[in-house]
Amino acid sequence: MAPRRFLAITAALTLSTAGLAACSGGDDDSGDSSSGGNVTMTLWHNSTTGPGKAFWDKAVADFKTVNPNVTIKIQSIQNEDLDGKLQTSLNSGSAPDIFLQRGGGKMAAMVEAGQLKDITDLVTPETKAAVGDAALGTGQLDGKTYAVPVSILPGGFWYSKDIFKKAGITATPTTMEELAAAAAKLKANGTPIALGAKDAWPAAHWYYFYALRACSKDSLDAAAKDKNFTDPCWTKAGNDLKAFADTQPFNNGFLTTSAQQGAGSSAGLVANGKAGMELMGSWDPGVIAGLTKDKKPLPDLGFFPFPAVSGGQGDPAAIMGGADGFSCSEKAPKECADFLNYILTKPLQEAYYKAFNSLPVSKEAQGAVTEDYLKAVLDAYNKAPYVSQWLDTIYGQNVGNALNVGVVNLLAGKGDVAGIIKATNDAAKKG
Amino acid sequence: MTVTRLRSGGGVQAPPPLRPRRRGIGWGQRLEIAALSGPAILVFVSFVIFPVLMAAYYGFYKWKGYGVPTNFVGLDNYKTILQDTAFHEALWHNAEILVLSLVLQGPVAIALALLLNRRMRGQSVIRVLIFVPYVISEVITGTAWALILQTNGAGNDILESIGLGGLTADWLADPKLAIWSLMFILTWKYVGFAVILFLAGMQNIPDELSEAAAVDGASFWQIQRHITLPLLGPTIRIWAFLSIIGSLQLFDLVYIIWGQYVASTAGTSTMATYMVVEGRNAANYGYGNAVAVVLFIISMVIALIYQRFVLRRDTEGALTGGS
Repeated sequence: MAPRRFLAITAALTLSTAGLAACSGGDDDSGDSSSGGNVTMTLWHNSTTGPGKAFWDKAVADFKTVNPNVTIKIQSIQNEDLDGKLQTSLNSGSAPDIFLQRGGGKMAAMVEAGQLKDITDLVTPETKAAVGDAALGTGQLDGKTYAVPVSILPGGFWYSKDIFKKAGITATPTTMEELAAAAAKLKANGTPIALGAKDAWPAAHWYYFYALRACSKDSLDAAAKDKNFTDPCWTKAGNDLKAFADTQPFNNGFLTTSAQQGAGSSAGLVANGKAGMELMGSWDPGVIAGLTKDKKPLPDLGFFPFPAVSGGQGDPAAIMGGADGFSCSEKAPKECADFLNYILTKPLQEAYYKAFNSLPVSKEAQGAVTEDYLKAVLDAYNKAPYVSQWLDTIYGQNVGNALNVGVVNLLAGKGDVAGIIKATNDAAKKG
Repeated sequence: MTVTRLRSGGGVQAPPPLRPRRRGIGWGQRLEIAALSGPAILVFVSFVIFPVLMAAYYGFYKWKGYGVPTNFVGLDNYKTILQDTAFHEALWHNAEILVLSLVLQGPVAIALALLLNRRMRGQSVIRVLIFVPYVISEVITGTAWALILQTNGAGNDILESIGLGGLTADWLADPKLAIWSLMFILTWKYVGFAVILFLAGMQNIPDELSEAAAVDGASFWQIQRHITLPLLGPTIRIWAFLSIIGSLQLFDLVYIIWGQYVASTAGTSTMATYMVVEGRNAANYGYGNAVAVVLFIISMVIALIYQRFVLRRDTEGALTGGS
């Protein structure tokens, strides 16, 4: 074997190990293109097919009718590819002007790198009134606005009304005891609670909801600031989850069940009547609809919020969820903000809800919602004293990742509650 | 693979007259070499060498992946890696996979190669059957086996239907079984590659040797033991080298079957999956690059040691410049 051959093999080896190094190019030429003349912008979103894509096409065309000097080029990118492409383009200084913003830690990193436009003064009072402070908060950092939400995605239980009847569950659970009883009945009926723990975050969501009930709003906010998870409420949340998981309420093999891919995923189990319910964000009806045998929405789908847990500091009616938003990149012209205000007007928000079957963020448009289960979500959302974002979004991917791993280990019987807390505290060292 | 050097002298012929020493190659030739190899070198440097250097550079920073890294932390990332039990576990799994790959695949592949090295009916069909898994992409392999071995998958269903219901298990999630499921899939997939290598090596063994041994009354097994296997040595050593490098970098199958997080729980995480989980998924790009560097150094050291001590005999001629 010649040294050249050896070099080639080592080179192949380095190729794969060096895959993480991305190109970084941080040229920050912040030239606001002067408005008034013709403006061209690019928009990146994640709807590659169907009504979602049509919504954006129409929104852009209508916007041009009102603003003939503004041209917006659309690029729809597969949801899973979006983050990576966005990161590369932001770093290479060729970012799209308007793009989907997932918020939380990712947004904070973009802000820190000076890649987002501060649109605090560009959001119109009409928009502020329609959206409300709580929802606007999802796109704010240190009092400045970097993104606006277009849709709210609260989480809770999605269940099949028929299966609940068959299993003999008469009312949706409102307390932990009722939830445990319902889980036992579902299990006896052969339709357990679906959980896609292979993707980890669905399992972690269980922990987040227990934490939402166990921790007061102040402790949640404090942890977001100092990333310190020593408050006893975090341990209580873990113990509550462990006590529930010990009754084995989930589908067999939940550790290698994915959340959204195929009939064997947790959403697929609900879609095909093999599971009674699952805990998930409000994108779930759409995912379930795509996995039913006739590719139509599940007719008997219902929703109920996460039940109250006794002995916690959190408000039993508090809700957790995310918000999909849009940001302007740092070099975008101010017309970018005009477009964001435009998509938050009532007709656009109503069209958004019809296209995505997802709750519009604008209070003016929420009257258009007709589905029972979405009304149930809205009802819970508007009753909630406060709305927390997904914890892995708030605390950043770094801590979120540690929480995910810790919760999976707990459910697998490999780790304990202390392990979750320790892993979370350790994660801060790596970030 | 082996380069035998001809010794001059010792014969009956007179030594050949000394030729004038060759000059260095001319400029024309140099230009030609540069023109022909330039593009390849350029691609190699920009897509291999440069990323490696960038990984080393990012590894000294805490960096979230957006903008230019500014938070220089020196060797902190490396300290954290070396103290992280999850990394120790991953390293241990890599070692397990490395040893088990050699122990499981080697004997099986040699046995199959010996069987297939004779004229027999259906030989080509068997060859194809053994080699097909190696050709299928890792992603498809992973997805298919994940579906088969799921708790409610085909594997357990088949066991139930043939009356072996007692043998059904959680093949992927049970930490005691998961590593063996992985080894089974790896063997199924890569044994074909080893068989093809060994068969090629056997083609290079002159028939005269075994014929002579047969004339001397050696049995089939004696011939295999004393002639074929020793002469297959270089091929086996090269195969082991490739297998070791592959085991150290195993990523795709584990990532696809166990997803992003369950691998560490099931006891099948590897250094490469650790790198992706801690680097990309946690958005700690600086830390992830440091892991890449550690993985690179470990693989490099093992490769060099193997070169030095195991492949030395096979490459001696080549390494000393040959003739």
